[in-house]
Amino acid sequence: MHVNAQPYMQSGVNIDMGAVAATLDYDAELMLRVKEGDGVSFGVLLEKHRASVVHFVYRLVQEQAIAEELSQEVFLRVYRSRSGYEPTAKFKTWLFRIATHLALNWLRDEKHERAQERLDDVSANMPVRQVSDRRLSVEQKLVYEVKLNEIRGAIAALPEKQRAAVLMHKYEEMEYTQIAKVLGCSESAVKSLLFRAYETLRARLAHMG
Amino acid sequence: MNCPIESRDPEMLVALCAGQLDLKTAEALKQHLAACAACRSVAAEQAVVWKALEAWEAPVVSPDFDRRLYRRIDEGARLTWFARFLRSFREMPLRQALPLTATAGLLLMAGFLVQHPIIVAPAAQRQDSVRANQVERTLDDLELLRQFSAAGSASESAHPDAM
Amino acid sequence: MLLAMPLAGIQERPSQDGDRPAAQAPPSSNAIDRWNQMSPEERERELAKLPPARAKQIRQRIQRYNQMHPEEQQALRERYQTFSQLPQEKRQLVRARLREFRQLPAERRPIVHREVEQMRLLPEPQRQARLNSEDFRNRFSADERQIVRDLSTYLPN
Repeated sequence: MHVNAQPYMQSGVNIDMGAVAATLDYDAELMLRVKEGDGVSFGVLLEKHRASVVHFVYRLVQEQAIAEELSQEVFLRVYRSRSGYEPTAKFKTWLFRIATHLALNWLRDEKHERAQERLDDVSANMPVRQVSDRRLSVEQKLVYEVKLNEIRGAIAALPEKQRAAVLMHKYEEMEYTQIAKVLGCSESAVKSLLFRAYETLRARLAHMG
Repeated sequence: MNCPIESRDPEMLVALCAGQLDLKTAEALKQHLAACAACRSVAAEQAVVWKALEAWEAPVVSPDFDRRLYRRIDEGARLTWFARFLRSFREMPLRQALPLTATAGLLLMAGFLVQHPIIVAPAAQRQDSVRANQVERTLDDLELLRQFSAAGSASESAHPDAM
Repeated sequence: MLLAMPLAGIQERPSQDGDRPAAQAPPSSNAIDRWNQMSPEERERELAKLPPARAKQIRQRIQRYNQMHPEEQQALRERYQTFSQLPQEKRQLVRARLREFRQLPAERRPIVHREVEQMRLLPEPQRQARLNSEDFRNRFSADERQIVRDLSTYLPN
């Protein structure tokens, strides 16, 4: 969805963006409009980031229903904290900081024993995956499911922060500095997290080549 | 170029697989890989990992995600009228505010309850809410235990999902 | 006068049609028992978070549980309570073995079941002797022996 700033100005929102426009990402601009009461801007942010937040949380907790519930909580917190919002970092960094915090808390609270078992039970994982439109033979589907479970198992076996770092690095293409801000650590700590995580994943998944 | 492994900079190999290096650095690293078996091995393994991770697609978000979110936002917004009501008394001197607050509070609470009756379950029934996935896990365990028990009797259920 | 004004509207929540009569959860209650104590609105709110097909399946499974014979249900509830008190890794092990048991051919299940039940009655030294015996090895496959070993050790009575 391409958004033009003009409609939001016409809705009565009057923000002097001149002083901050040069340093803000566009999402932060939208969030400042939400702060001023512009619900349409919240909808734009939701539309833009909904999928990536849900997918990120899903790959962390590996349960679809929980991922959506936690993701809703993420956007709920974004909305509820609108009055105190200050663009001290990129909007996406803040958003993923909330998402990571909620997901890691859930993982710790639930002591996710069943998720490990579900990874061994292919039937329990269905329907999770939207297979591409191309037709797959039964054998190809089986091979795919086995492969998918290996990947999920490898990710789930990583320590939580390594897991979060890999998911942000691989699927969100976030830079080290951004991941560091999300996780609340230094850039060198992120490099270390990713190094150990990928080393573990290489050991576990290299046979899939 | 220095060997990434020897110079303790192996994330360059990850960045190469991720396509995150600029052209010049990527070319230099590829030339190094041609000569360095250790780096070549790591890069090859990392490429496998990268490809495997790419194959892991996340499920489609439920079509009613936004509707449920906005409902939760609306439910939260309905409570804020009371917060606004309380705020109006904060500016008064205390000797005026207290009796007025108490009276107004009682009136408003009574009126609110008439409009929105509080449903209170008997104390014996009040329970912590349970998540649906907790119920599902319990059902799974109960079914496993039940099937094992039933295996010893003549009337074993043949349906694996009897519960 | 204001203080004497009754607070209108406080009422007991009615049971939903088709549910069991609302009663206090028994001491050995599990998540399903607690689920049954929740209001229909709370239950539906939880189920609404799931894909419809899965929610429907859970509703049906709960209904089947609720329709069990009370004595059978209580026995199962007690067995589950003991199971849930196992350490996490033992619970996982028992689950895995029970799943493997479920996958056994139909004609093997009563045989393996009987062996587990008999093993559980034995004192530990005798149980070990039995597990190591040639007769045991001859009568059961490697997978079946593992099922018997672990379930006779950890499966609650």
